[in-house]
Amino acid sequence: MGIITTDNLVFEYIRRDENGDRIGEKRAIDGVSLDVEKGQFIAVLGHNGSGKSTMAKHLNALLTPTGGTVLVCGMNTADDDSLWDIRKSAGMVFQNPDNQIIATVVEDDVAFGPENLGVPAEEIERRVTESLKAVGMEDHRADSPNHLSGGQKQRVAVAGIMAMKPECIIMDEPTAMLDPNGRKEVLETVHRLNREEGITVILITHYMSEVTDADRVIVMDHGKVAMQGTPREIFKRLDELQELGLDAPQATILAAELRRRGIPLPEGILSVTEILEAYRALPEQYQVSDPYKNIPEHIEESFTELKKDEAPLLELEHVSYTYSPKTAYEKKAIKDVSLQIRQGEFVCLIGHTGSGKSTLIQMLNGLEKPTDGRVLFRGEDINERKYDRRALRSKVGLVFQYPEHQLFESTILKDVCFGPKNQGLSEEEQRKRAEGALRLVGISEDIWNDSPLEISGGQKRRVAIAGVLAMHPEVLILDEPTAGLDPQGRDEILSEISRIHREAGITVVLVSHSMEDVAKYANWVHVMDGGKLLYAGKPAIVFSHMEKLKKVGLGVPQVTEIMRGLFPQEKRPAMDFITIEDAVRALCPADGR
Amino acid sequence: MLREITIGQYYPVSSLIHRLDPRVKIIGTLVYIVSLFLFDSFAGLAVAVVFLGALLFLSKVPLRYTLKGLKPILVLLIMTVLFNFFLTPGEVIWKFGVFKITKEGLYRGAFFGCRLLLLILGSSLMTFTTTPVQLTDGLERLLKPLSWIGVPVHDVAMMMSIALRFIPILLEETDKIMKAQQARGADFESGNILRRVKAMVPIFIPLLLSAFRRAFDLALAMEARCYRGGKGRTKMRPLRFKLRDWLALVYLAVYLTAVIILRRWL
Repeated sequence: MGIITTDNLVFEYIRRDENGDRIGEKRAIDGVSLDVEKGQFIAVLGHNGSGKSTMAKHLNALLTPTGGTVLVCGMNTADDDSLWDIRKSAGMVFQNPDNQIIATVVEDDVAFGPENLGVPAEEIERRVTESLKAVGMEDHRADSPNHLSGGQKQRVAVAGIMAMKPECIIMDEPTAMLDPNGRKEVLETVHRLNREEGITVILITHYMSEVTDADRVIVMDHGKVAMQGTPREIFKRLDELQELGLDAPQATILAAELRRRGIPLPEGILSVTEILEAYRALPEQYQVSDPYKNIPEHIEESFTELKKDEAPLLELEHVSYTYSPKTAYEKKAIKDVSLQIRQGEFVCLIGHTGSGKSTLIQMLNGLEKPTDGRVLFRGEDINERKYDRRALRSKVGLVFQYPEHQLFESTILKDVCFGPKNQGLSEEEQRKRAEGALRLVGISEDIWNDSPLEISGGQKRRVAIAGVLAMHPEVLILDEPTAGLDPQGRDEILSEISRIHREAGITVVLVSHSMEDVAKYANWVHVMDGGKLLYAGKPAIVFSHMEKLKKVGLGVPQVTEIMRGLFPQEKRPAMDFITIEDAVRALCPADGR
Repeated sequence: MLREITIGQYYPVSSLIHRLDPRVKIIGTLVYIVSLFLFDSFAGLAVAVVFLGALLFLSKVPLRYTLKGLKPILVLLIMTVLFNFFLTPGEVIWKFGVFKITKEGLYRGAFFGCRLLLLILGSSLMTFTTTPVQLTDGLERLLKPLSWIGVPVHDVAMMMSIALRFIPILLEETDKIMKAQQARGADFESGNILRRVKAMVPIFIPLLLSAFRRAFDLALAMEARCYRGGKGRTKMRPLRFKLRDWLALVYLAVYLTAVIILRRWL
């Protein structure tokens, strides 16, 4: 018998009406039987609402089953007497890095668990040192958690669990709120703990790229186990995965596309290395000559000429920004950046956390004022004293990260009216605009009078975006609009934004961490690094700077990596292959004819 | 802008005062405050100045930093002095319309001003040299006897330390929500007071919701890490009196006795 077993686990939420009377129940988990062996690395996948988080909470007795049993190290979670032993053996790391750190100093937080268990003082001190070392945070021992990055905070949370000497760590979407570098940091840490300390890991996630190294993958849907097996077995069933609202790494999708066109690649390819090896092993008749040879050497000018005579909609002129100038906390966020955003473009802004992109977008609508340089909208300096910045904000709409956290009205419709109301429009006009905006983001009419707090996460985000669209902006700036959503939610939001861009003719500025999304949607990219503008241009040209982008920790779409791996180039090509369609076209020349 | 407000800014250096047990520092601050109120002459305050000066010197907190900390309460200080100047009855030495300054007023103004100044300097010495966590710890231990009569001392201390952890986070969040609503055209700066209060609704509701969400998450995380109140809990670094702490207590006792004796003459 394994370390964690569930037998026909069932969990029902009781739904009550306003008077607290029972009106029904919702089955969140429906007959799940699992058997996890000691030392395994298990990944649980599933879209939001598939029941995966509810199941995780059962594994350390934060919830107890309505039906069936859960055994952790042989202890039944329904048994109150073993509650604390269960929680000690199966530690849990949650999604939000801020909301699980209790103390104001890193080491005090790591000590919190053992303190609760009544461990003697010297032993706690030793465990704290060991745990911080195990997650590579020993240098931050005396720091305040507020000064750490998201990935570092999650590592502290892992250390806090390790200090309780657990058998097993359950992680409930620990990377959902992190940037790519933070995600990598956290995953490397738990893989190491699994390998070196023999800790059993149950990782709940909706990032497919995180499960390729797991021993076993469990896919959940509607509270049931929909698929189960090794990552390879799961990724072979690509179509089923996509039907369940999940995605797959580009390497897997590309391999499947090529197979469909008769190229005999094996099934279940998981990574770039695997597809490279498999492709090289193909018989000669399937190999193609270097497609990079067909790219002209000087392509750059022809693209930058685009719309050159047209005046830019938004422009930054030698802009710098310094936080808390002339104090000990002085920090240069932006250093001499000049860039232009032209009407009708879909512009993406990339750069890792701290590269200055959040500050930059706030300068575009006058929420932040540059320390140096000018910001121009239609050629006018928006920081001139007489310039009407409030009016500007309705023309340059800004949607912050997690915009649903700013919803506050009693109904969806009223909330979306907030912007138009501030513009001083008549009630009739407010309503008209709000309705238009809600239709544009695909919120159906029958929930317009519901509370914006009682709808699903993806819907909330749409309502929040509608709140900005209702002001009829000419530019829509979105700061990571897909953060924290599952793959399906991400796709839906992005294709809606793309549709709004096309149909309503709104210029879009999108901040994104996903190079794949950038390659798919952008027609212009700005790359920020360390407060400076590193590159600006067409995505296919920007991503051809692969080596440099990797060096600053940003990366390129997986497809680009695969193409460069297949056809190594001595010098940088003038442009690159950045989408799956690009790669398929290059690798199956016969297909196009 | 909200982030720039700091309360009791800890000054991180290593000094004898920094290393003292927080309980000693809390008791010391109380003793010092009592001593300020026992004296009612400038000569008496001079004794307190010597006492405080010595401690400030030992604490290695730069004088400039100490004085900078006084800035926020400057208005209060000036008001105290001025009220005393103008409102104390007695021998008039300067008069302009309804305003008059008396000799007694001058004396009282200067005296109360100095006393208030010393009071604030003394208590900020404690916050300069003690981290909020140590302070909470110290208070929890000092007030422990109250738990015998049913006062939830541990729980209050836990609440205090959680508050310390989340105040900066919520301030940052307030900043973010304000900006987000400004991006939707909200205006917090114009209009009369009623309008401005009304304009705060779009900030307070999301903030409150966020605080509840965080509280819920945190409670779950604490339970998952086996928190079950103060019972059976140990500490990584329990507070223990060392020789220097006992010596400091003796020093405090000597100071208090001296103050009580000197009071008759000064």
